[in-house]
Amino acid sequence: MTAPITTVAMPVTITINGEARDLAVAPFRTLLDVLRNEAGLTGTKKGCDVGDCGACTVLLDGEPVNACLVLAVEVDGRAVTTIEGIAPEPDRLHPLQESFMALGASQCGFCTPGIIVMAKALLDRNPDPTEDEIRFGLAGNICRCTGYTKIVEAIRATARQMAAAGQPRE
Amino acid sequence: MTSVIGKSVKRTDTLGKVTGGAVYAGDVVLPGMLFGRMKRSTVAHARIASIDVSKALALPGVKAILTHADVPRVLHYGSPHPRSASVTQDQYILDTKVRYWGEGVAAVAATSEEIAELACELITVDYEPLPAVFTVDEALAPAAPKIHDVGPGGNLVLDPFLIKRGDVEKGFAEAELIIEGEYGMGRPTPAYMEPNVCLCQWDPLGKLTIWTSTQSPFMVRGTLAEVLGLPLNKVRVLVDHMGGGFGAKQDLFQHEFLCALLAQRTRRPVRMEFTRKETFLGGRTRHPGTIWLRQGFKRDGTITAREAKIVFNSGAYGSHGPGVTAVATASLTSLYRCENVRLEGRCVYTNTPIAGAFRGYGVVQSYYALDIQMDEVAETLGIDPAELKLKNAVREGDIAPSNHPLTGHGLEDCIRRGIMETGWATRRARGRAPQTGRLKRGWGMGCEMHGSSAYPGIKEQGNAVVRMNEDGSVTLLTGTTGLGTGAHTALAQITAEELGVRFEDVAVVHGDTDVVPWDIGAFASHTTFMAGRACQMAAAQVKAKVLARAADKLEVSAADLEVQDSVITVRGVPGMRLTVREAIAAERGIPAPQLLGEGSYHPTKAYSFGAHFVEVEVDTETGQVSVLQVVPVHEIGKVIHPIAAAGQIEGGIQQGIGHTLSEDYVIDPKDGRSLNASFVDYKMPLAMDMPPIRTIILETAPSDGGPFGAKGVGEDPIIAIGPAIANAIHDAIGVRFRHYPITPEQILAALAEKAGEQAA
Ligand code: FES
Ligand code: FES
Repeated sequence: MTAPITTVAMPVTITINGEARDLAVAPFRTLLDVLRNEAGLTGTKKGCDVGDCGACTVLLDGEPVNACLVLAVEVDGRAVTTIEGIAPEPDRLHPLQESFMALGASQCGFCTPGIIVMAKALLDRNPDPTEDEIRFGLAGNICRCTGYTKIVEAIRATARQMAAAGQPRE
Repeated sequence: MTSVIGKSVKRTDTLGKVTGGAVYAGDVVLPGMLFGRMKRSTVAHARIASIDVSKALALPGVKAILTHADVPRVLHYGSPHPRSASVTQDQYILDTKVRYWGEGVAAVAATSEEIAELACELITVDYEPLPAVFTVDEALAPAAPKIHDVGPGGNLVLDPFLIKRGDVEKGFAEAELIIEGEYGMGRPTPAYMEPNVCLCQWDPLGKLTIWTSTQSPFMVRGTLAEVLGLPLNKVRVLVDHMGGGFGAKQDLFQHEFLCALLAQRTRRPVRMEFTRKETFLGGRTRHPGTIWLRQGFKRDGTITAREAKIVFNSGAYGSHGPGVTAVATASLTSLYRCENVRLEGRCVYTNTPIAGAFRGYGVVQSYYALDIQMDEVAETLGIDPAELKLKNAVREGDIAPSNHPLTGHGLEDCIRRGIMETGWATRRARGRAPQTGRLKRGWGMGCEMHGSSAYPGIKEQGNAVVRMNEDGSVTLLTGTTGLGTGAHTALAQITAEELGVRFEDVAVVHGDTDVVPWDIGAFASHTTFMAGRACQMAAAQVKAKVLARAADKLEVSAADLEVQDSVITVRGVPGMRLTVREAIAAERGIPAPQLLGEGSYHPTKAYSFGAHFVEVEVDTETGQVSVLQVVPVHEIGKVIHPIAAAGQIEGGIQQGIGHTLSEDYVIDPKDGRSLNASFVDYKMPLAMDMPPIRTIILETAPSDGGPFGAKGVGEDPIIAIGPAIANAIHDAIGVRFRHYPITPEQILAALAEKAGEQAA
């Protein structure tokens, strides 16, 4: 008979969207499941749970990762930014969020959180990406609805707009 | 007159999507919720001799297990369009037999997903294997094992579907050129991003609430009620946002029944979420198959006769097999005019995954064959293919596949515009310099037409309730689902326009079968067309009530009133005005007037049209085909929201490129096992594969039936892209492919064969 599943929870402290959260997590739990189920942040989506689709993209200490491929216990003491933490202030959206809405870059929206987070990471590194660089940057993010046309447009428009505004990136 | 029709207003659904606040079925958590999982079959065809759940039940945390012995045995429709001829009644929740590898045989509810999964592993099933058939040919062989007891027999899902018009013999006798060929189609899947998921809860009075990712909540309600033996007011279906469906989420899936029963058994809420692998296994695919097509032509390109035999592989259950077969067969009566046709469609059970509804619904397959054959004929006759298609294009007054006369010259308009936009004649092999290097480029085009709504195949009806609140704001209640297309925004635009209020004043309520008017589901490119028209009708009633009150107050005739941006004015009397809010303000005895409108629309038939022009580049050393650019030209009547319409077109093209060049869900021909049930192995075009798309939308053939002349657009764009690519490959390398997907290996093999022929 298979051994019962160990559910000894380990205490971790993860800074999620700027707020330190003390959580008790089973060692086999992914960051994705902990964000969605324990932290109550369901904006990050599960499209595959095996690292193939990018729907679960979050920033870990500023770098994009697939949250389904990271164990929650690994991120003890580190900082995670999810789609819920992308907007600079509660009442002000990130320019990427504005462009995605205005230019129709989100249809069913299931890929959108991951893609916006990935695009933010891309613009943080490269404020003026070419179309090819944007497409390469999204190589790990599946969108089945849009053909990417408007996603690429929205990211380029955001880059232009942020450059024009001379805005520091948060 | 400012108008909100044709304006890309900010969609009402996307704020939640870009902030992460949008709630999908899998985001809902209820106190005490359990996790459900299905045990799936590891054989393709077998009788279940016994199932032993004792070990699994003993596992701490397991709360309930269901096998075929524990669930109602009610034969039900795979896709719940009640009693329509489009779908079959051939499924049980759990049967004593399995008919494909991956079919559910038992279900577990446990306190965690891990425990539920482990419990599934601990269930042992004793299968008595039955001979299995994986191809249509095997299934149609005289001694083939019988997969179902229902149906016409011989593993047919339905009796052959026949269409005859004119005199085919005479047509072929008059032909100066007869061409025939067989065209083959792989097995693409919709691969929506959100895996199937539902959450069920029962209340103390025995009412079931189910949150589920479905395109057709009222159909889910109807079938669940029927199978579980409940009145309709004891089943409530909720769906707010959903992560794509593309047709396939019209079906009612095994897990939706099982989740409800597990919740009933445990008296706790249960969530059941597919893994990605299960979304392939237990999902729905497009129908694979073959189409034999034969046409007669005059030397000038006139078509004299058309004959076709379609054979679709339905997989283990019928699902939408009858509907897809009928639509595919009927579609060959048209697109290119031909008076003499004889068409036959068959759909066959096999022990493979279930084929169902998928954007394009049979027409993807039939126009792939037709449009490639037109290219072949053009080549033989020495006529430019675009000119040949233009010459034969359906036009005003022609009888459509639905037997309705067409309005407008949409297809011709699309072809002409594409020819102009692309500089077509100079792009094709005949008009350009020979290519020498390793990379060869070519241009191709394909055409399509597609009905807005499934009428008359399904008796359809769009409904809407519009209510004006006492402050002049408007609440629109719609039963349509938010599939991701932006349809709710379009419905709000239509309502605002008709009623004369601002777009911002309309709030949309949807996604709760207890509250919103009945809806057949979001499919068949009909939401904006059909529900939109119902919204317009309902809004007009409210407007009349508002204007009647305004007329009283202003002491003028209501016929002289106009309302725009919520301000009522009197024609010819400048300065006399009243806001809507003032018009409906409380009066003595009437604290809040009841301003309700209700629209029910039984659609007429409308068709949208498209022509896709495509440039490809073939790497003759690797066999890789890159699509370099696409110029889709669509005629879709009056456009309500241009960005959303263009988004449908771009997304359809993405899926169509995938169908044509890489997507094929492969079933092992030895044992029926799925070989590529993951996003890594099932290869879809992603950001780096997608070419620039220059979308052109025409509004030259509006429909009288649609709101403000609108027609459908959802399915159209996936249809013409396939043959356009196949034809472009031929233009690039001179090799004709008559199937999809066209893989690099096949390109290389064909090039080698061609080189061999030339050397010999
Ligand atoms: S859910 Fe993590 S990559 Fe798909
Ligand atoms: S918007 Fe649906 S998957 Fe991207």
